[in-house]
This record gives sequence, structure tokens and C-alpha cells, in this order.
Amino acid sequence: MKAMKGKILLFFLIFTVVSAGCSKLFDIEPSQNVSEKTALSTEANVISVLTGAYSVFNNPEMYGGNILRNSELLAGNGEINWVNSETYYEPYQFFEKSIVTTNQEVLLQWMSSYRVINTVNNVLSAVQVVRESNRNWVEGEALFLRALVYFDLVRFFALPYEAGASNSQYGVPLILTPTRIIDSNIYVGRNTVEEVYNQVIEDLSSAVEKLPESNGIYASKGAANALLARVYLQKGDYYNARESANAVINSGRYSLMPVYPDIFNQNKPTSEDIFVAKITYPDEYNALTLSFSSSYYGGYGDIEILDGHLELYKAIDKRLDMFYTGDGAIRCGKWNNLYGCVNLIRLAEMYLIRAECNIRLGPPYTGSNPLDDYNATHTRAGLPAASSVTLDDIILERRLELAFEGHRIHDIKRLRQNVAAWPYNSPKLVFPVPAREIEINPALRSQQNPGY
Amino acid sequence: MNNTERSLIKKGSLLIIIFFWVFLSLPAQQKTISGRVFSAESNQPLAGARVQVKGTSEIKVTGPDGRYEIIVPEGEVLIFCYPKMVKKEQITGTSEFMDAMLETDYYGLEDTLLTGYSKQVRWKITGVVSEVKGEKLGNFPLSSFETALQGKVPSLFIEPVNGKVSSATLMRIRGTSSIFASSQPLIVVDGMPVSTETINFSGAPVNPLSTLDINDIESVEVLRDAASLAIYGSRGANGVVIVTRKKGYNGDTEINFTVQSGFSEASRRREFMNSAEYVSYLREAATNGDLMFDRYYGYPSGTIDFCRNDVETKLKTFSGWAAVLNGSGNFIRSQVSTDWQNLAFRKGKIYSADLSARGGNEKLRYYAGTSYSKQEGILISNGMEKISVRLNVENNISKLIQIGFSIGLNRAGIDQVSADNDYSSPMQLVALSPVTPPRDTNGELYSYPVTTYYNALIDTEEASKKITEYRSLANAFITLNLYRGIKWKNEIGFDLYNIKENARYGEKTMEGTGRSGYGFANYGQNQNILARSFAEYNNNAGAFNMKALLGTEYQYTTIETVYAEGERFPSDALKTLASAGLISGGSSTLTRYNFLSYFSGLDANYQGKYLLSLTGRVDGSSRFGRNNRYGFFPGLSVGWIATEENFLSGVSFLSFLKARAGYGITGNAGIGNYWHAGLYDVASYNEASGLVPGQVANPNLKWETVRQADFGIEYGFLNNRISGEINFYNKKSDGLLLNVQVPSTTGFQTQLQNRGKMENKGFEFIVSTVNFTGHLKWNTSLNLAANKNKVVSLGGQDIIDYGGDRYMNVVKPGYPLGSFYGAEYAGVDYKNGDALWYVNQQDANGNIVNQDKTTNSFQAVNFIILGSPHPSLTGSITNNLKYRNFELSFIFQGVTGNKIHLAGDQWMASNGVWYDNQLRSQLRSWKKTGDVTYVPQARLAWNNGNQSRSSRYLSDGSYLKLREIILSYEIPSEIINKINIRNLKIFIQGRNLLTFTRYEGWDPEVSADFMVNNIFSGFDFYSAPQPRSVVFGITMGL
Repeated sequence: MKAMKGKILLFFLIFTVVSAGCSKLFDIEPSQNVSEKTALSTEANVISVLTGAYSVFNNPEMYGGNILRNSELLAGNGEINWVNSETYYEPYQFFEKSIVTTNQEVLLQWMSSYRVINTVNNVLSAVQVVRESNRNWVEGEALFLRALVYFDLVRFFALPYEAGASNSQYGVPLILTPTRIIDSNIYVGRNTVEEVYNQVIEDLSSAVEKLPESNGIYASKGAANALLARVYLQKGDYYNARESANAVINSGRYSLMPVYPDIFNQNKPTSEDIFVAKITYPDEYNALTLSFSSSYYGGYGDIEILDGHLELYKAIDKRLDMFYTGDGAIRCGKWNNLYGCVNLIRLAEMYLIRAECNIRLGPPYTGSNPLDDYNATHTRAGLPAASSVTLDDIILERRLELAFEGHRIHDIKRLRQNVAAWPYNSPKLVFPVPAREIEINPALRSQQNPGY
Repeated sequence: MNNTERSLIKKGSLLIIIFFWVFLSLPAQQKTISGRVFSAESNQPLAGARVQVKGTSEIKVTGPDGRYEIIVPEGEVLIFCYPKMVKKEQITGTSEFMDAMLETDYYGLEDTLLTGYSKQVRWKITGVVSEVKGEKLGNFPLSSFETALQGKVPSLFIEPVNGKVSSATLMRIRGTSSIFASSQPLIVVDGMPVSTETINFSGAPVNPLSTLDINDIESVEVLRDAASLAIYGSRGANGVVIVTRKKGYNGDTEINFTVQSGFSEASRRREFMNSAEYVSYLREAATNGDLMFDRYYGYPSGTIDFCRNDVETKLKTFSGWAAVLNGSGNFIRSQVSTDWQNLAFRKGKIYSADLSARGGNEKLRYYAGTSYSKQEGILISNGMEKISVRLNVENNISKLIQIGFSIGLNRAGIDQVSADNDYSSPMQLVALSPVTPPRDTNGELYSYPVTTYYNALIDTEEASKKITEYRSLANAFITLNLYRGIKWKNEIGFDLYNIKENARYGEKTMEGTGRSGYGFANYGQNQNILARSFAEYNNNAGAFNMKALLGTEYQYTTIETVYAEGERFPSDALKTLASAGLISGGSSTLTRYNFLSYFSGLDANYQGKYLLSLTGRVDGSSRFGRNNRYGFFPGLSVGWIATEENFLSGVSFLSFLKARAGYGITGNAGIGNYWHAGLYDVASYNEASGLVPGQVANPNLKWETVRQADFGIEYGFLNNRISGEINFYNKKSDGLLLNVQVPSTTGFQTQLQNRGKMENKGFEFIVSTVNFTGHLKWNTSLNLAANKNKVVSLGGQDIIDYGGDRYMNVVKPGYPLGSFYGAEYAGVDYKNGDALWYVNQQDANGNIVNQDKTTNSFQAVNFIILGSPHPSLTGSITNNLKYRNFELSFIFQGVTGNKIHLAGDQWMASNGVWYDNQLRSQLRSWKKTGDVTYVPQARLAWNNGNQSRSSRYLSDGSYLKLREIILSYEIPSEIINKINIRNLKIFIQGRNLLTFTRYEGWDPEVSADFMVNNIFSGFDFYSAPQPRSVVFGITMGL
């Protein structure tokens, strides 16, 4: 009997040893990926996730190039020509203003934008894990990226902001928390344009407070202020735009490059760059090179520059030096470096914003008078200093200075100009909500943009 | 009644009671009965036969002359048993003598089979279990043992995906049950579920099962009904193949030695154009191509000569030194007509040797074996060499304790070839032009641009791709025999698989060119450990017998790989990466998973007539989501042996009839290891590393579930000389993992959810007959299996189509998984040679309208389901004949109901669109108005019917093959006994000697190796045919 008892005990011993710690037994951490739990558990990891957000922001379909290209294509009207209509028809649809809801590049821009948003939402949800000394810039950079992406989402996928109106037209869904599970709450509809702009401004204002003046290649206080200036300008809020642009200029951190071409095709930011997308050889590449540059520079030569644009310049304007002949057509040389930084925000734009706002609002001027700001870029371009300036002069200066840097369609819309036969608020100048999203999300079913 | 009467009655009753009591307890008349027990078939006495008084434990055993003596009450029944003989019951009469003639049990009712964690006698089994004994498995030198199972078990579909050595094997039991998770059955070796993950870095996938030696196998059991599979819980849904390795035995030491030698070659070649045919066909295509350009641009016919000029230039280039030119330097013809297909194939030599010894006594039993085999593949530069050693020891330390230990060490060396879709795969040589000589005047192999594509022969001379696999499979156990028939077994299993891959590509190879050579080294290890403890209780006394089982097990697997690659070698002679000028890449991976299970089972039978089996298992695994960590899998089956009932005892020709039915729930845990987890991917920005959310968590993710119902009948006529089974089953798969689309606003595109449904229904039919038993013995066995697979639901999705332009397999509800979806070819327009397809426009209900409308524009065609890659009927017939010392055994095996996609024919029968060499069948191209042919007009640079997704490239996959044939002669014992040899046999055996099929490709047993999964199967892309092999051998026993 004793022997029997002993055997039974042994049996249960083995049993319990094997069953011990059952629930933890199955928590095997993956090794080629990081589990959700671990990714936000330490400061170092949270910062890694922030870096991850930058890596998606830097994708070719995003700020690694095509978001800037798409703006130029939508605005294309007699100044450029998109050559490849057969095998690369998605951008061609932007150029022709006949976009279909199944356009894959539209879908990609939407998908990647929300990927950045989800990543920064994860960072924002875990900032408590970060030490106080680092918390501000981590939060500030996350908010900056989110605002940048939502700003472009609402500029491309919604009807334009009407200054002074209530702007209740459909914007884009505002997602401000990370996705942890898939349940019925994921089916969100579109917020209004007003709501999106308000969120962007709220995020950027907060970022301005939190970001340091100097932050290497990453978003800085100046970048947040500069972007804020751009947002206010788009809204037609000239007062606030002027304030923000002024703050950037007065920080003294940035200065115009003396020679215009030196701004571009650099492998690192110049004194004029406020914020860039950094391209790292060999895994990444500057997508704008593929569209704008000739084969000599590794591009496909899809975009030709026409006389309609070149005629806008005065003959001695040094900015004409950016254009060259390649593969049998005129090309824009701002993006010839396949691994060069993408200049997203630079100081010249701040001068132009301040000048435009000052002249619209009239004296007393803030910061400087519009003539001096106008001359800053005008003389840099080798033109003689002007003695007086009108709003139209400043608008033209802006167009030439920032040509093919992703501003065109947004300027056309805020200035209520036309693109060929289409007015600034034509539905044809707005991306459709991708067909895939309409199909999968019942909340979006009845919310497609007009005309699609 | 007065008092006296009352007391009388009392006394009387008492007396009667006492009387009866005494009477009943009087021992009945006992007598001694003696006699002899004989075998009815051979008329020989049976020594060691058991004689038992029914209902008691009085048992006697017959002596060497078959004689027994037993004391038995008069009128009682005696039961006579002997292994492999039908049990016989005889009522004793007044005689003191009783002989018994026992019939041979052809059906094996008393055989013991392994039905999971324990053994069970065949007549008591209520599930569907088939056994293939080692002798039936054979000892043909094969890459991997499972190929020997072809045709031997109904509903077990085994197909090596192509004819390469160590090719992956497609295994399915009762159809495919999953879409994205594994459908391969669980392979258990000596109780250990062995790892089958493929971890080689490049080339064709290497099959890890090739490291299990066929000579080690004692028997294979295949479980396929849900009630039996339920005890394997979440790993049983795809069926289980249980392999038992050889052990020692209680008896004189036996030594066996076998040596075999032979060869194998491609079982079929296709007919390609020769030099002259190629030239004339290409010129025809060029002329027509130019005419097409003329028409397109609106020029008069004959204006454009771009194609014709290009062809003449290319013909000159392709012919290299063999070009014969005319005075103006133009190509006339080539001096050679190279048969490139021939250069891809070779006659491969086969050699194998196997030595084993076993023996023991009651206390200690052992088995030791070693074998060696070398197989040259039918493709050049492909081959395999295997060596294995195995030891099994069992020791009965006492009546209480028994221990055992087994270890098998295997090493396989493979000369690897590229995957089917690689330019460097030898089969792709058939695309090269016959006008090209293989070598230039210096004896160097020609390459691009003289050859139309890369010359794969260069890889055979300038590259080395060696893979070495090592496997150690060991287990140890201790069994305690506790009182009351309880056995408690504790075992531990260890399965360690290592792979070592070293490849070096010289400067002249496609991989090495432009970077001064390329090399890589890959090391992988798969370590799999199992611990199990279970108790078994057996009670066979009395009318109600039962067997009960209760246990637990834990399995943990770790898979690691490391690789590095380099380029810029100063010389081709430098082989290792240490000499690489640049280490261009490297990585390491780690994967782990585990399973924890509790299982129990109960088998009971009442009076040997009514059978019941219950099982239940609880499984937990790291693969399942947080909310579904554990699953419960029950099974129930019942059986009724009708022939034990009295009402059937008069029907003498019906010797056995059993009806059985079962139902069970099993799971398929062959899912990814981290599919349920929220995961971040690695990314980088500005040279800092980052993390991005990559996979959204699904805490509800769990195994896929299979609910299966079975019904079957086992029958035997004429003393089981005709016996067999008929089984019906219905398998419903549920909760199949599918990628469900989610809105992008979540930051993700998909989530893997358990959403899909699939169904497999079918039946199996087995009949075995003992035809002759005299001097000439002849047995036949036929098995047939039919299966109908249907995808029932994709969670709302209409179709899953990843085929692009090239492949046709899709997943569409209402059709079998992997059905071909494409255009229906309608032949050639006799007016102009255009390829035509049926438009097949469909109305809202999916019905075809305007059935006969055809078009020559592929864009205008609507795809329809064209067929299925899965056979609807499979079967085999085995015949075994013995005459004196000769034995002949052969198996014919076949399938029907399936189609195969000739995906490579898009290039080989492409209407001359490019410069690939074409099949000779293309000579029947349309040439002039009025020609009626299926081959469209040849047109260079213009598509004309070469679109891959069309029924033009679908072929009937039915076949009947002479799968195995063995002829042997046993040297008579009188001769060999003189030299103290126990037995000596010479034999000749062959595999795949004959193939009957309408399939147009190389071999209807095919599924291109670069994409083997549930959806993509049944397509041929330059896939090597199965080898046809013959070996001659000698077996000697001491």
C-alpha cells in the first residue's frame, strides 16, 4: 500500500510539474518581430516606434516624393506634360483629372497615411513610459507627423477649405487612438473638413510648445511653426499665418542659401531647410527623381516641362538654371539626386507667407515689410531688387520660387484659380475615397466624394 | 391451516431449498478431453495453440505435435485459438477426444493495431484504421519513405511533387481540409510527432522526411475517422500517419542483410522540334508576325520585315559555330540539332545496402540496424546519399518495471538543383533552340546570347550546391506495471533535425556573373522535444471488457536558422565565404512554439458484440490567441459485430460482419506560430532602427475545426477469404483562417480570422480475396476511394484569386479548393488562324448566356471554372502470387477526375511568340484558310492563344500506373541450410514501369515545387517526371 501511495504521488508530481505555470507557458515571444506588448514597454522601444512612423512617412508614395508630385500633376495645365499614359496610368489620371475610384496610387496614399497615423497614435498612447526629460520631443514629433499627414489627407481627399465658411463638407475620418483590436468600432465615417483642420492646428500648436529648437533631421519647433503657417495660409487666416511664419524667421536658426540650385539635390539639410525627408542609400530612393528627372539621373522622364511654365520667368532669373534638356524634353532639375533629401519646408516659403499676409492685412506690418521679404527671394534669384510690390507680384514670386515642390494645386485652390476649365472647387480636383474603403466600411458607403 | 401443517410446509420448503442448493453446488461431471489442433489450410499440427474452457480461466497450450489435454465440465464449450487463425468454439460431448481444424484468418481479426496511444485488437476497433506492414511497405531505395505508401491505403493520397531527389511530398487524407493552414497529416514516429518544416534557403524545397529510413519501419498505421483522430486533438484534423520502428523480439538472434543495385530514368519524354523544324516554324512565325504589323499600321502586306530580319539574325547567333551561311552571310541552316531535353536527363544509378540484427530473451530485447543508399536523380547534377544507424533496446527489469530506449541517426547528402521556375533548373534546357550546339569550339558551354536563355548546364559545371541533413530521433520510456492491470508509461522524445547548405556559384553562372561569383551558407536547426505520461487500464475478463487511457503530454519546438552570403571572389577555386571580397548579406531567425495536452480514452465491449469507444482531449498551444488558448476535442464511435448474434449464426458463408459509426471533433493547429499576435515589423529611418505596427492582434484566433461523421461496414465471406470494408464519411471544416479585409483607417489592411468553411465527402471501398491456396497461392486486394471537396464559404468573399496572369487555381465557394478558373478555349478560327475563346458571358445568377459566342480578344473573355486539380476517384489493385519458391507481386494504381494545368506550355506551345523551342505538336499550326486545327497561327511578337489562363493548357490528369512490381526467388532451404544460412532470396523490383495516361505533359503526378500549398496544386511548370526505376537485389538472413 505504501508503494502504491508512493507511485500515485510520483504520478501527480510529474503531472503538476508539467502543468505548472500553465498560462505563462504559451506566452512565447516572437523573435523576428516585436510583440505589441514589448514594443511600447520601454522608452527605447517607444522611440523606436516613433522612428518607425518616420520610416512610413518616408515611403515613395508619401513624403519620399509622390505626395509632392501628385499636387503638381493635379495642377498640370499647359505647364507640364505627363508622358506615360499606357503602362503608368495612375498618375496619368491625376494629370488628366479623370481619376477612377480604383486608382491604386490613391489607395496607397490613403493606406500609408493611416499607417503613419496609427503608428504615432501608438507612440502617443505610451508617452508615459518615456522619461520626463525626453517626453516633450517624443510627443511633439508624434503630433507633428500626425498633423502633417492629416493636413495632406484633407487637402487631397476633400473639397477645399472655404475661408470664413463653416466647412461642414466631408473631410477624412479622424482617428486619434491606436488600433488594438478589430471590432465594430473600426467602422468610422468621415469627419468634417472643419474638424480635421481644427485637429491639425491643435496638434501643431501643442507640438510647437513641446519641440526643441534644434532636433537634427527630425521635426523641430521651427518645423511645427512653419507647417502651422502653411495651414493657416490654406485656411485664409492671414493673421495667424503671419504670426507663425514670423516666429520661424525670427528664430534666427535658418538662412537662405546664397545660390539657388544649392538648395536642392543635397544629401543632408542645408541652412535653408526647415524640414526634410531623409533618403538613405541604398534601401530608399527619392521618388520625385523617377518622375521629374531624365534617365541620366536614373529617372524615367515621365514629366516634361513645357514653355507655358518657362515663359513665366524673366530671362535673367537664375531659377531657370534648374531646367535642362534631357531625353528629348525640358526637365526640372530640383530632384536629380536619386538619394537626395526631399525639401519639404524651407525658409523661402516663410518669407513669401509673411509678405503675402502683410500685404493682404495692410500696415502695421509684422516682422518686416512685404517689399523686403519679396526682395529676399527675388534678389537671390539674380533679379534686381524691386522698389514696390503688389499682391500679384508676391503670388507670382511664390509660384516661381516654389515651383514643382508640391504646392501648386493647394495654392490654386486657396486662391480660387482655375485649372484649365475646372474651377478651384471642382470635384475633379479632389481624390475619390478609394473604392476598397467604400466597399469594406459601411460607414463610408454614402460618403463618397461628389462626381465619383 | 393449523400449526402442524404450517410447520410441515416450512420444513418442506426448507428441504427443497437445501436440495436444490446442494444439487446446484454439486460439481458437474468433469472429464478430461484431449486431442490435436491442426491448420485447415496446411493440415499441419499447430504447436502453441491455446485451448480454453469458455467462461473460465482454465487454459492449456498444445505441444509440438499439436496435442493438448484439458479438464472440462461436460457440455461446456472449448475455445481454440492460434495467431492468424480464426478462433473456433466447439461444444464438448461425451467423447474424450476432440480435434480442431483452424482456418487461416485472412482478415487478421485478432491482429493488434496501434490506434493512437494504445493498441487494440482489430475486431474491437470502431474507427477506420489501416495498417501497412513493413514487408508490404517494401524496401525499395526511395528518397522518402512515404512514397512507398502510394496505393496501399484508400483515401491516403501521396504525390511526390516532381521527379527530383528529395522532392516535397503532397500528402492528403480524405481531401484537403484547409485553405491557408497546413493540410498535411500529422506524422508520428514511435509516439513522437516529428517535425516536417522545410528550412532550406534556396533551390527546390528539401523534404525533411527523407531522413527517416524505410528499412527501420515495422509498420505504418493510418487513422482517418474523426473518432480515432479526436485523441490527437488540435493536431488530428488532417489525419494521422503512425510509424512504428522495428524492435527486438524474444527469440534467436536474426541477422538480415540486403543489397540492391539498379538504375532509374525519366518515365517519359516530350517531343520537341528539331533543328530543321525549328527554323521553318520560326520563319513561318516571323512572316506572319510581319503581316500582323502591316495590318496594324495599315501598310500593304509585305512592307514590314522587322520580324523576319530579327529571326535571321537570331538564327545566326543561336547557331554559334554550327551556322551554315550562304554567300551573302545569311543563315541557311545549322549543322547540329541538339536534343536539349536529353541533356537534362540521365540514367541515374541506384545502390543500397541494409544490415540489421535483432534478438533477445524475455528480459532484454534489441534491434540494431544500419543502412546506406545512394540514388542518382534522373536530372543531371541531382542526387542523394543516405546513411543511417539505429538501435532499439527494451528491458523488462522486473514484472513491475520495463524500460526501453531507441535512437536513430540519419545523414542525407543532397546534390541540390534549383526550383522548377528557375532558369538554372535543368528542365528549363528544353527552351533552348535545337540549332544551338551545347559547346563552342573550345569546349566551353555556350551561354546567352548564343543560347536563347541561360544554359543550365553551366550550373552543373561551375556551381556546387550541397545540402547535408542530419536527423537524430530518439526516445526513451519507462513503464510501470501497477496492480489491477494498470500500466503507467512515461516517455520522452527528442527529434533534432539539422540542415547545412553550402552553395558556390562561379563567375560564369547566372548567379555569379557580374559580381565575381556568389556564395552562401545556411545552417538551420529544428529541435523538437516531447514529454508524455499516461496510464492505461485493461480489463479483459468477463463479458464486459474495457480499456481506459488517461494522460498528459508537452511538446516544445525551436527552429533556428543562420545564413550569410557573399560575392567578389578572386577565383572560382575559392569556395568558402572567408574568401569573399564582400559579405553582402546575412540574417538569423528564431521560431518557437509549444503544445500542452491532456487526453483520455475509453474502449469497451460487451460480450464481444457491442463496441463503444470514447475519447476526449484538451489542447493548449502558443499558436492560439489569448481568448482561445485551450480547445476540447471529443470523439465517439460505436460498433456492432452482427455475426456474433445468434440470428446470423446460421448464415455460414457470411463469416464476419461489423457495422460501425462515429463522430468526432478535431482541430488543425497547422497554423502560423504568431498569427494571433499583435506584431511590429522592423523598419529604419536615417540609419536608426524603428518599429512599425505590422499585424493587428486577434486574441480570438484559434485552430481550424473539423467535424466528421463516419459510417462503415466490415465484412468477410467464406471464412474471410473475401473480406473488406465500405466506409462513408462527411468532413466539415469550419473556422478556416482567412485574411479578412479591414478599413485602412485602422492602420492595417487585413486581419486573420477563423471564417471559412469547407466540406469533404466521400466513400472508401476495400475488398481482398484469397483466390488460390494450393501450390499456387494468389491473393488480390482492391481499394477505391472517392472524395468530393467543396469550399462552402469564404466569410463573404466571392473568390480568392492570386493567380495573376499565369496560374489558374482559385478559391471559390461552391467549387473544390484550387479549382481552375480561366478562359474556355474554342480552337482556331479557320478563316484567319486567330485563337478563339468562348465569351461565356454570365447573367446575374451566374448562368452562361450565349453559350456559343466566341471571340479572338482575350480581354473580352469571362473566366469560368474549368475543372479541379483533385481526383474524384483514386484506387489501386494489388496482386500477389506464390508458386513454390517464386513470388510475384504487383500493384496498379490510378486516379481520375482531375485536370492538370500545363503552365509551362505557355512558353513551349506559345504560337511562336518568342524564340523558345516549341513542342512538335505546334507544327500543326494553322497555315491557310480552311485549316481546321487546335494550334493557332504562328506569329512572332504577337499573342495568339498563348495566354496561360485558358483551357488550351488544361489536360486530363487521369492515369493508371504500374506502381510496383517485385519478382523474387527464394533459394530452397535444403541448399542453404547446408551452409548455415537461414534464408536467401534474390529479387528484382521496379517502380513506375508503366504509365497509361492521356496527359500531354511529362507526368500526371506533378505539382510544381516552387509553389506547393493548398491552393496551388496540379500544375506543371517544367517539372521533372517521376523516375522509372528497376533494382536487382539479394536478401540474406542468418
